[in-house]
Amino acid sequence: MDRTLKTRLEAKLADRLTGPVRQRQDQTEIRVRPADLIEVLRTLHDDPQLEFTILADVCGVDTGDTLQTVYHLWSDETPDWLRIVVDGLPREDPRVPSITSLWPGAEWSEREAYDMFGIVFEGNRDLRRIYMPPDYTSYPLRKDFHLPDDSARGPGGGVRHIEQPYAPVAGTEHSIRRTVKA
Amino acid sequence: MTAATRSLRQVATVGRIVIPLLVIFLIVAPVATVLVAQAIGPWLISVLNSNIGILRFVVAITAILLFSIPAAFIIIYMELKVIAYMNLRVGPNRVLPAGAAHSVVAGLKVLTKEDFTPNSADRLVFTWAPVLVFLTAVMTFMVVPFGPGLVGAPLNIGLLYLFAVGGMTVVGLLLAGWSSFNKYSLLGGLRSAAQVVSYEIPLTLSVVGLILLAGSMSIDSIARQQSGWVWDWFVFRQPLGALIFFIAGVAEANRTPFDLTEADSEIVAGFATEYSGMRFGFLFFAEYVNVFIMSALIVTLFFGAWNAPVDVNWLLHLVGVGPLSIAFDPGQLGGNLVALAAVVPLVVTLVLAAPFYLLRPEKPVWQSLLIGFLLLNLLLVGVLGLSAYVDWDWVAGLIWFMVKAFAFVFVFVWMRGTFPRVRIDQLMGFAWKWLLPASLLNLFATALAIILLKSAGIN
Amino acid sequence: MTAPAQPQQHPSEDDPRIMLDGQVGQYEQVPPYPPRTEREAEFYTLGDGEMFLNMGPQHPSTHGVLRVVLKISGEKVVDLDPVLGYLHRGVEKLCENSDYHHIISQIDPLEYVSSLFMEWAPVMAFEKLLDVQVPRRAEYIRVLTGEMLRIASHALFQGWMALDLGGLTPILYSFIERDEIVEALAALTGQRMLFNYFRIGGVNGDLNHEFMSRVGDWMSRALVQHEANIGLLNENEIFVRRMRGIGKVDRDMALRMGVTGPNIRAAGVPFDVRRAHPYSVYPELEFNVPVRGTKDGGDSLDRYLLRLDEVRESIRIIDQCLHEMPDGPVMARMPRLMRPRPGRAWAAVESPRGLFGTYVISDGTDQPFRFRVHDPSFVHLQLVGMLMKDNLIADTMAVMASLDPVMGGIDK
Repeated sequence: MDRTLKTRLEAKLADRLTGPVRQRQDQTEIRVRPADLIEVLRTLHDDPQLEFTILADVCGVDTGDTLQTVYHLWSDETPDWLRIVVDGLPREDPRVPSITSLWPGAEWSEREAYDMFGIVFEGNRDLRRIYMPPDYTSYPLRKDFHLPDDSARGPGGGVRHIEQPYAPVAGTEHSIRRTVKA
Repeated sequence: MTAATRSLRQVATVGRIVIPLLVIFLIVAPVATVLVAQAIGPWLISVLNSNIGILRFVVAITAILLFSIPAAFIIIYMELKVIAYMNLRVGPNRVLPAGAAHSVVAGLKVLTKEDFTPNSADRLVFTWAPVLVFLTAVMTFMVVPFGPGLVGAPLNIGLLYLFAVGGMTVVGLLLAGWSSFNKYSLLGGLRSAAQVVSYEIPLTLSVVGLILLAGSMSIDSIARQQSGWVWDWFVFRQPLGALIFFIAGVAEANRTPFDLTEADSEIVAGFATEYSGMRFGFLFFAEYVNVFIMSALIVTLFFGAWNAPVDVNWLLHLVGVGPLSIAFDPGQLGGNLVALAAVVPLVVTLVLAAPFYLLRPEKPVWQSLLIGFLLLNLLLVGVLGLSAYVDWDWVAGLIWFMVKAFAFVFVFVWMRGTFPRVRIDQLMGFAWKWLLPASLLNLFATALAIILLKSAGIN
Repeated sequence: MTAPAQPQQHPSEDDPRIMLDGQVGQYEQVPPYPPRTEREAEFYTLGDGEMFLNMGPQHPSTHGVLRVVLKISGEKVVDLDPVLGYLHRGVEKLCENSDYHHIISQIDPLEYVSSLFMEWAPVMAFEKLLDVQVPRRAEYIRVLTGEMLRIASHALFQGWMALDLGGLTPILYSFIERDEIVEALAALTGQRMLFNYFRIGGVNGDLNHEFMSRVGDWMSRALVQHEANIGLLNENEIFVRRMRGIGKVDRDMALRMGVTGPNIRAAGVPFDVRRAHPYSVYPELEFNVPVRGTKDGGDSLDRYLLRLDEVRESIRIIDQCLHEMPDGPVMARMPRLMRPRPGRAWAAVESPRGLFGTYVISDGTDQPFRFRVHDPSFVHLQLVGMLMKDNLIADTMAVMASLDPVMGGIDK
């Protein structure tokens, strides 16, 4: 846990943070709004006291209510991993600016998040499904997804028991849905 | 009689009809053959006599076709086994001892597989391309001398024929690649066209120096000029030419490290991607026949053809013996020959079996007798082989030729087990930037040396 | 009674009818659906003299089931578009529906070449969630087995590299080394490939006699064998020339593309999670982080040589582990049923391919609420598209093999 990182972050990003800087074990977490994301990341990358040069991960999260995107960064200036959470994306139309202008390598990770959660990364030049087939319509890692919905529409629909064309009786949308305060 | 009828009663109905027919046929057929031979024999002989050229050709091409398949089988088996040992594997080991007939079984498998034609392929070309590839490969055999006089067609422009027909292979590969309606095939076909055409030039030019030296394009005459000792082989007078010929030959045969046409890690199987069944078998065989031809050519042109590395006659002369030959005419023995044929094997078997029996008297007698009989057979084969080697120079030539040719086949296989593949630009660059100037240099140096030696009066 | 009208849809790639009444006309539109992004539209528009070459998913050298659409002009690659998903198993979804213990075996086959690292990162993340202190002996065992598997993975890479360049033999020599290591690990864990050995709070079982004797046996000649494998390939002129100068990744590009592991070190950036963000007992061990590459980046050959350097460092680490292995338990005291407090944890390890990370969100139940896997191969495969422009088809294999992706990890 790097206390100085907390003060540095608070000093640099004071007004852009939506919550307190949280620290646990070797991770430091900040939360930002979607609109501020690019500016925050640019500051983190360029500021000589921060210098977060390596983007470890980009991923999407479904909290059950809203969607998030989570970025993990590494810097030589601190022993901590930095986690940036972009919070509160609405389920119906989740939109986040793409960070491919800063880290072009995030392109596929953003495609994956789009594929799995339907989060639209504005500015990603190639935002299409990466794992699922192109005619797929739903988002598998969302908490309100259940398998029979979508696969039943494929050519193998109704062939295997798992792909019955009706929704499961025991696990309806409400019963399998879990939420978390993440 | 009763036993025979009883067993006849046990066979099925068809057998009861077929077996008597077979017996009748066996009696009638020889009689009929003799009668027919009596009637049209003289006429047939006169016809064949007047067409001896055609007869020779037919016999030669049949022999070559029959030879090419087992040769390919042997090379395939060699490749499997040699590369297996290089890879620390065992390799084929199921069919016959050490899996010796593995490639034959693989060939039969290829024969029985479905002959698949892609929907959009150009059927006519797709069907005939492998035949073209295979036939051009076999046709080049026609001028390869396997021994003194053992040549399909003793052309006096043998080398020219060789390069002309050998260059036709690329047409077959190109057709196969183009007609398959597959991009991998197309790339493979085009690669092979580019590669074979580029390497044809250094291949041909590297031999021109040799032609100047030999003063002939007849392969037979080139082979005869290398008789004598090892240092009479052309490789010592044309080392650069031999090296270029070898490298270009590897590329011509599409072998590792120049096997770009079937680079499995890039374009799957190249021109052969869409082929299956015996059509693939044809392409496959053609590759190995090509390997044999390339080794045969290297041996013929640069490594003394069918000549032994030592001059046996000279050695014998040194010792004081004339040219060796077994002056033994079995006919002069007359009726004794029959007695000899009956007694000698028996006696020799017993003689050979005796030491084994004396050494291990506790073993059954038949075991020693069997060993004696086997040894007798070995002895007979050895004696006959030796007498054939000494008496008929084509046998000696064939043996030496095969030994040398398969030594080079081994080198080809060895290279396949060792080298990675070159890239297409490296391949072409090597042909045009290095091999072509080198072969021109070789030609220039050879011509200059000949002129200088001639003007100096040294022949 | 008429059948309900089917909604109008563009033909699916999976539609079996496409294959049944196959006509050439049906293949004319590539891809068989309207382009979804500008990039896709641009890629699937052919210029003068260009054509598409569909490599995979059943291609001999795509390291699994990767499909790469190449846009080629003759032998030259103009552009390429990797298409993933042929091995997609939904590991993240599976793990979100599994017990914390089950996840270890669920995630094992993710990247089957180095599966201990696939266990290590989630186990570390769960330990952070549960605030568990792992016994030191267990940490040493983890490092020992992990480094052994790193060598096995790099040995396989070496053979693979040669195989992709057309050399048949080296892979079988590499397998000697890999086999010895894997057999030793099998003596320890009972499995040759998917070890399922690490546990939350330790490892499953202490070192046994057979493992130790095998390791001692192997260590006595590991370096010699490594040198022999190197000698088989490194002086082969064709091999070196096929790799030199192609697939250059420079420092800036490597950082911007999120490259990690040996690939970024071959580009001149000394980033190694074992040193950059130390975990386990790595701070106590002595080893160097080998770096290669010049000012203008590292090529395929640098990446290949760097992995060979790493093998030597790994042998050093194993040696230290064997000498400094402390006594003690190999498992912390853990409850059977784990219900970590709600929270989030991120853990990353240095796998043979790079930074392998896991992000776990717990909601207080015995299953993780969100389980994210970050696989380095996934990021590295993006590079192929950038590196291959204006190179030859044959180089695609050399570059791809030198980045050492494993499709199991990429497709999750």
